[in-house]
Amino acid sequence: MMDLVYSENRDRQESTELPDKELALRSRGGDMVAFEALVIRKTPAVVSVARRIVGDAEDARDVAQLVFLRVWEQLARYDDQYSFNTWLYRIATNLSIDFLRSSRSRERAHGATLHLVRMREEMTGHQTTNALEDAELARLFQTVSGRLTGKQKAVFVLKEMEDCDTKEIARILKCGESTVRNHLFNARRILRREIARICPGLIAGRGRR
Amino acid sequence: MSFSCVDVRARVPEYLDGALASAETRTFREHLFSCRECRDQVVSIEPSLLFARVSLEEVSAKDVERVLAGVKAGVALKQAERKLALGRSKRRRRVAAIASAAALAALTLVLPGSARRSDSRRPVRAAARSTAAPAPGFAPAAQTVPAGTFPADATIYDWNPGAGSQEPRVVWIVDRSLDI
Repeated sequence: MMDLVYSENRDRQESTELPDKELALRSRGGDMVAFEALVIRKTPAVVSVARRIVGDAEDARDVAQLVFLRVWEQLARYDDQYSFNTWLYRIATNLSIDFLRSSRSRERAHGATLHLVRMREEMTGHQTTNALEDAELARLFQTVSGRLTGKQKAVFVLKEMEDCDTKEIARILKCGESTVRNHLFNARRILRREIARICPGLIAGRGRR
Repeated sequence: MSFSCVDVRARVPEYLDGALASAETRTFREHLFSCRECRDQVVSIEPSLLFARVSLEEVSAKDVERVLAGVKAGVALKQAERKLALGRSKRRRRVAAIASAAALAALTLVLPGSARRSDSRRPVRAAARSTAAPAPGFAPAAQTVPAGTFPADATIYDWNPGAGSQEPRVVWIVDRSLDI
């Protein structure tokens, strides 16, 4: 009777059932099957957070690739006492912020502003945003968040869109919880001002309802 | 856990202060996301909540495949670079060791030299020097170097041939037989 000694398919199947931390530890030991499983599992979350910070789906995919390459390079430095997600989010937000700072990203933000100006012209003064589709809301966010610093934007995204609490955000960004609260406070203040400046009808329409 | 519209509107200040527990926060957002009236009401109080819990943009299986393919290509490239860097560093260490040994040998042989020659800043063939006839411009070394010390095609440069015995002297040996 023959024994199955090695099967990559079986390894892959096993890997999909392992917890994140175990996959990370196996990847650190050079297990490429475990690393691929980790990439497949975490890509949606990384693309999602990167998309909200950099503002463009294609750029977000590029950032996600850089994130996983950085993970692969630095797995030896991952401290398995902590959550793998926190470490991953830290790399993802840092690289997204770096990307946001690049001139290419600024040019794209400018393009989004032009789009919004056109969108605003199409909207009647008292029209509410109920008609705005999610994609348009996301585009609106990219425009009004253009005045936020990278850290402010990252904190707002993690808090309001990624369901992270203050403590976790502080761990991700390696700063104090009071700093996170400050960033969030300032982000909200700037967003309020920008929404009122760019889409005054939006708030007026909502207030009337 | 679920919140009524009244619950949600009453909890806006707590939500903004971050005072809600994590489960309550999630319920608050889910309600806002599904109840248009509450969303409008809350946004009129705090406009930035317009973006709270914007629906997740679906990442398609094709996108995941594209990211994975890019990552695998990147990892393969990094691995190749590492191998190359490893080979280069080994080779660099070998060349450095040979060069140090050659420099040390040259200093040992040449420093005692005291002959002054004005026309000696020319390369000298080691083979010629290691034979009976002393090489022009390198008299001190020629006297002390036994035949076969340097490879036949080594070239030796003396950049301060007129130096006295107490003066610094710089000698450069180029061994063309080395595979660098």
